[in-house]
Amino acid sequence: MRRPVAVVGVGQTHHASRRSDVSIAGLVREAVDRALLDAGLEHKDIDAVIIGKAPDMLEGVAQPEQYLVGAVGAHLKPMLRVHTAGSVGASTAITAATHVASGLYNRVLTVAFEKQSEGNTMWALSPNLPFTPPLVAGAGGYFAPYCREYIARSKAPLHIGPLTMVYARENGARNEYAHLREPVTIEQVMDTPMLWDPIRFGETCPASDGAVAMILASEELARKGPRKPAWIKAGYTFAEAMWVPNRDQVSPKAGQMCARKVYEAAGITEPWKEIDTAELYVPFSWFQAMWLENLGFCPEGEGWKAIDRGDTRFGGKLPIDPSGGVLCTNPIGASGMLRLAEAALQVMGRAGAHQVEGAKTALGHAYGGGAQYFAMWIVSSEL
Amino acid sequence: MAQLRNVAIVGFAQLPVVARDEHRTATEMLYPAVRQALEQCGVGRDDIDYQIAGSTDYMDGRPFGFVAALESMGSWPPREDLHLEMDGIFCAYYAWLRMQAGYCDTALVVAHGKVSEGEPRRVSNLQMDPYYHAPLGIDATASSALQASMFMARTGVSDRDLARVAARNRKHGASNPDNQLRSAVSAEELQNTPFVVEPLRAGYLPPVGETATCLILAAEGKAERLCDRPVWIHGVEHRSELQTLGARDLSRSAGAKLASEKALAMAGLDRADQVDFAELAATNPAEEMVLCEALGLDPFGTRPVLNPSGGPLCADPIMSTGLIRLGEAFRQLSGRAGERAVSGAERALVHGQQGHCLQTNIVWICGTKRRWS
Repeated sequence: MRRPVAVVGVGQTHHASRRSDVSIAGLVREAVDRALLDAGLEHKDIDAVIIGKAPDMLEGVAQPEQYLVGAVGAHLKPMLRVHTAGSVGASTAITAATHVASGLYNRVLTVAFEKQSEGNTMWALSPNLPFTPPLVAGAGGYFAPYCREYIARSKAPLHIGPLTMVYARENGARNEYAHLREPVTIEQVMDTPMLWDPIRFGETCPASDGAVAMILASEELARKGPRKPAWIKAGYTFAEAMWVPNRDQVSPKAGQMCARKVYEAAGITEPWKEIDTAELYVPFSWFQAMWLENLGFCPEGEGWKAIDRGDTRFGGKLPIDPSGGVLCTNPIGASGMLRLAEAALQVMGRAGAHQVEGAKTALGHAYGGGAQYFAMWIVSSEL
Repeated sequence: MAQLRNVAIVGFAQLPVVARDEHRTATEMLYPAVRQALEQCGVGRDDIDYQIAGSTDYMDGRPFGFVAALESMGSWPPREDLHLEMDGIFCAYYAWLRMQAGYCDTALVVAHGKVSEGEPRRVSNLQMDPYYHAPLGIDATASSALQASMFMARTGVSDRDLARVAARNRKHGASNPDNQLRSAVSAEELQNTPFVVEPLRAGYLPPVGETATCLILAAEGKAERLCDRPVWIHGVEHRSELQTLGARDLSRSAGAKLASEKALAMAGLDRADQVDFAELAATNPAEEMVLCEALGLDPFGTRPVLNPSGGPLCADPIMSTGLIRLGEAFRQLSGRAGERAVSGAERALVHGQQGHCLQTNIVWICGTKRRWS
């Protein structure tokens, strides 16, 4: 059996560097309560809970979903915990969608979170392997060489990264939940210190505390809900091995395959024309240009041109990350689910001040590991 | 219960559980398990639609420990993939669910963990509520001892009873070549071992051990081609409970009871004792007795046979302990159990768990025949 699945409720926390007003459980509960309220449901209406977060070392709690059973209302319910590195928020939501698609569950709550202020992210992301001195460079140190390689291949002018951040911050300013909400100029971004060439301080994502939850439901129940649902047309997760000769981390094959699979299942042949807006996982500015190519929106070497023309800006031909994206808000484990949830809000027509006018079809995307894990879904206003 | 897709276990491989594999990393240990399971099925990696891994970063001692497992699973070209921070038996559940949704027909399910490189007791402490419970220093042995005390106080079960359950597991485990402990030990001897945390004695607790495991699932139509005697899934269900030790009756397992009722109903059975044997992922004899009570099994009965493999008391490689139970059901029901074969076995109950004191439980019913025609 495979049956239609819809997003019927979305809730997210306000995101900040330090949500010291709540515990980990309190943070998660805030998102869960808002999603239930949004869908007009109570815990008793939920059949299962699917939780995701990035490495447990970020907060220092091993398998924290066990501790969070009460906070998410999973007592005496099925509960699964997903972890697929940075893509986890997105793969968690797709895991939840499978539950409803199977016909065995009618309403599933899915939630993702990170409370980075509880620990030290740079330490937690820098494994100390046997006989290997730790790099302690975090994700930026890992990904910077691939951004540089992209610039070398595509001959993109050097203002593209900062320009991407300017657009992202313009968008974040309209999103009441975003962590960074102050607009910046291109000069301001360029004046920030270079952290990992070509990535400046002003071109990186923040470290955020935050959580997001969604309620997914069967067609019958979705139609009974108080709001217009977002229909999940397709959702897939792919991964590729690390140590493969000629593996291209600028445009990973797993990303291409995952995109192809979701487009095919959603009946999309020309993503640039048929998709109205996309929430892409862009933790460092240059990745927006890279993903535009990897996901088939632009031909190879031309992703940066779409940004330079202003096509990806709010109000442009294909607004990217209208919420401000990861560049404005990054609770790591939740960042992927935020992309999928924001895509859903867009096609529901409920994205508020950052609503893309007339958005009917949207892509939500996330990646993780050494550009190895990909998870995406296409949502639509029509079934 | 609506008709579901018949899905079968068609292959299983594990490395013998050892205290410490000196020469291999966790993912190097995984590679031969994946190869052996594929060879059992007579297929290559490209013939499998979906892959899913179970492991936990804290046991690997580093973030993203599972990323390295992609190499051992043959993830090139890229594969449809997922990783759960859970015992592999929960990964098998999700693979089964994806087959129910019609997304795939075959799946590779793996679990790994290099337990010897870490401090499993300390990690079990870090699983607790970080604000109120973990600072007390409670680890899994301590919480299990609380559970055992509460169970003994409520039921009158004695130290001698615990020793008998432990001895039965050790006796069965002696003929399982994959076990870490392979000697039968009498109840008297076990009852004379010192307390680790009263009332749990050294002889009632599993040794620290490690392995890597791989199970292959296939839907009807493919399963028959991959295995001469596929072992069919008749029912499966899982349930979690609150962690807070004071918030639930530790002497009972409401989650295991509910999960087994649902799994049995899916299998079209009324009672757990309608199976021929059960593989239970309980890590000490008191926990096994709590579980038996929840499931409706007699810990001192002769049929169903309990833990013909020897159970976790003879080998408890964290993250694989549950998946091995499912693998053991496959070996028994497909005629691959050798000396420890349960005669005439056609149906099995399999249990997996994670967390403290049976916090999250999964129950499977498997059989030699298809469930739905």
